[in-house]
Amino acid sequence: MTAAGQAMHFQTRAGQQLRDAVLQRALRKARPLFVGKRARGMAGLAADGLDFESLRSTAKNIRNRTLADLDVWLAIFEERATASGAEVLWARDGEEVARLVVDLAKRHGVSLATKSKSMLSEEARLNEALAAAGVRPVETDLGEYIVQLAGEPPSHIIAPAVHKTLGQVESLFAEAHGRPPVDRGADDIPVMAREARAVLRQHFLSAEMGISGANFLIAETGSAALVTNEGNGRMVTTLPRLHVVITGIEKVVPMLEDFATLMRLLPRSATGQAISNYVSLLTGTKRPGDLDGPEKTVFILVDNGRAKLLGSDYQDMLRCIRCGACMNHCPVYFALGGHAYGWVYPGPMGSVLTPLLTGLDKAPDLPHASTGCNQCGSVCPVDIPLPELMHRLREEQVERRLQPWPERLALGLWGGLARRPALYRRATRLAARYLDWLAEGSGRIRIFGLAPQWTAGRDLPVAAGRTFHELYAARKRD
Amino acid sequence: MTARDEILARVRQGVGRGDFAARRAAAEAALQAAQRGPQPAIVADPAADLASRLRDKAASLASTVDTVADWAAAPAAVARYLVAHELGEAAVATPEVATLDWAGAGLQVAGRGAEDADRVGISGCFCGIAETGTLLLLSGAATPATVSLLPETHIALLAASRIVATLEDAFALVRAEHGSLPRALNFISGPSRTGDIEQTIVLGAHGPCRVHLILIGDAS
Repeated sequence: MTAAGQAMHFQTRAGQQLRDAVLQRALRKARPLFVGKRARGMAGLAADGLDFESLRSTAKNIRNRTLADLDVWLAIFEERATASGAEVLWARDGEEVARLVVDLAKRHGVSLATKSKSMLSEEARLNEALAAAGVRPVETDLGEYIVQLAGEPPSHIIAPAVHKTLGQVESLFAEAHGRPPVDRGADDIPVMAREARAVLRQHFLSAEMGISGANFLIAETGSAALVTNEGNGRMVTTLPRLHVVITGIEKVVPMLEDFATLMRLLPRSATGQAISNYVSLLTGTKRPGDLDGPEKTVFILVDNGRAKLLGSDYQDMLRCIRCGACMNHCPVYFALGGHAYGWVYPGPMGSVLTPLLTGLDKAPDLPHASTGCNQCGSVCPVDIPLPELMHRLREEQVERRLQPWPERLALGLWGGLARRPALYRRATRLAARYLDWLAEGSGRIRIFGLAPQWTAGRDLPVAAGRTFHELYAARKRD
Repeated sequence: MTARDEILARVRQGVGRGDFAARRAAAEAALQAAQRGPQPAIVADPAADLASRLRDKAASLASTVDTVADWAAAPAAVARYLVAHELGEAAVATPEVATLDWAGAGLQVAGRGAEDADRVGISGCFCGIAETGTLLLLSGAATPATVSLLPETHIALLAASRIVATLEDAFALVRAEHGSLPRALNFISGPSRTGDIEQTIVLGAHGPCRVHLILIGDAS
């Protein structure tokens, strides 16, 4: 797990990722697959007589309605979850999440905890806290398991190991499973999946605590909704005697019908599936006579910077249902992979959420990690205007004077010039001549001394020695 | 101030609307009037054949589908499937369906929750959902969730009369027949799968590798 501070170093990390040939190969392979899957999902919607735009405006409306009365829906959820036999706890931040889970583990004599994917547990750096307290956390989503073996954070919210190649996975498995490495091809992927299945099955059976996230909380019934393909979500929430659900306060939706609408969009946006293999609605604990299920279920509802977004310019971000479509369609994400973003959430939604949750001063480059192409906004199933939010964050950087001093100086100088037309004309004339001289009449500058990074991978094209004003005046004379 | 009070205070401030009691009453009222979002075309189609839609969708999810005339014919259909796939004669079944005449079909079927060693699990279904080819199983004393989870092969028995069109219809049926929700509603759509190694889809991640659906009493 990387510290929030890592988001400071986006530019440096971006450079490293661009030079990582193995990573670049993995990303090149994944991109068309992700895009193709969603396209097939959307074709399936149309074949069922459903229209993406009308579904997404309904979904957006559900999320907006919930957020507009979030205090009410949380109160109803808490009341009904408690009535069904679950316990509801609250955590202000990641540290508090970790403390609550460690306390639960200690009180219930837990030595092994199986985990179904939870991005919030990454926010809380829960695995580190559990390990420090003598509890072994085992990630059970295959992708999460792979990155846990590698000692890395996930690089994608729904495909955590998308940056790993087959060969890398094989080395990790060989070492962790105590066998010599084998030369593997694509045909061996089922064998590798079976190997992980056998290892993880034993953990499922012996863990005393299961930890999961929740894709949604249903206020009507006090339930957690869990969506997985592998079945690990079901294992983790069925077999251990204690189940802990860790989720953000914004995940609540009013009722089952709202959940049904969102489920027509979530898997299709994420993996192109009309429905994920396993969708579970979990309510309370093991009932009298039940042969399985946890004896105790605990919800931990987490703020960690979310509540302050309500009523702010960024409230739209709280609609996010974590499908990953924005990163799957992002040219910046696929140039760099998820680790460049430095915190839990990569891609466009991460470029908005990370500065909002960890502080804009701690993630200064992320609002700029965008080409402005709006592919993310156009595929978002809840219509979050991601490029607009990044733009708003950039404005806030200027308002709060958070940009680096050379940028502030340069913009200040330019502002001063632009307000003085006579001076502006003289200065631009001089600059155009200077650039033309630097370019030696070739029309381009190979390395520009004032901003060498700009010209590291491309030439700077220059004006033809005369400014627009000069050209305009000359044409008027003709 | 407890974490709960502090977070809820922040949320109330962000929501920025007074009169909690009136908004709460409006929310409770909204929960009494279920509003459905855009529905797939099968809902409005009087000629929609839900059973054949469910069969097609289940097959596209990599499940296999068989059809028998009535419940009494189910054990023989299960036995045929087990022979064809060389899966032996022993299985675990949910107590709900363990009362069928399995011995008559030459099978040793134990009615209980599943254990790791069980290779085949047989369950009924609360209902089937035609829209996506999904099976809905409810947890309960006679329907333990492990039977559809731990064994490599899951055989599901579904009465054709229990097929509904959509997820919303399934929820309506649960509300009508159960009132409150059991511990787990498990919606199952084919064998478990993963794409986490180089985006290559593999069947049989943690749950069953095979799902075989036996539709009972489908006249179509």
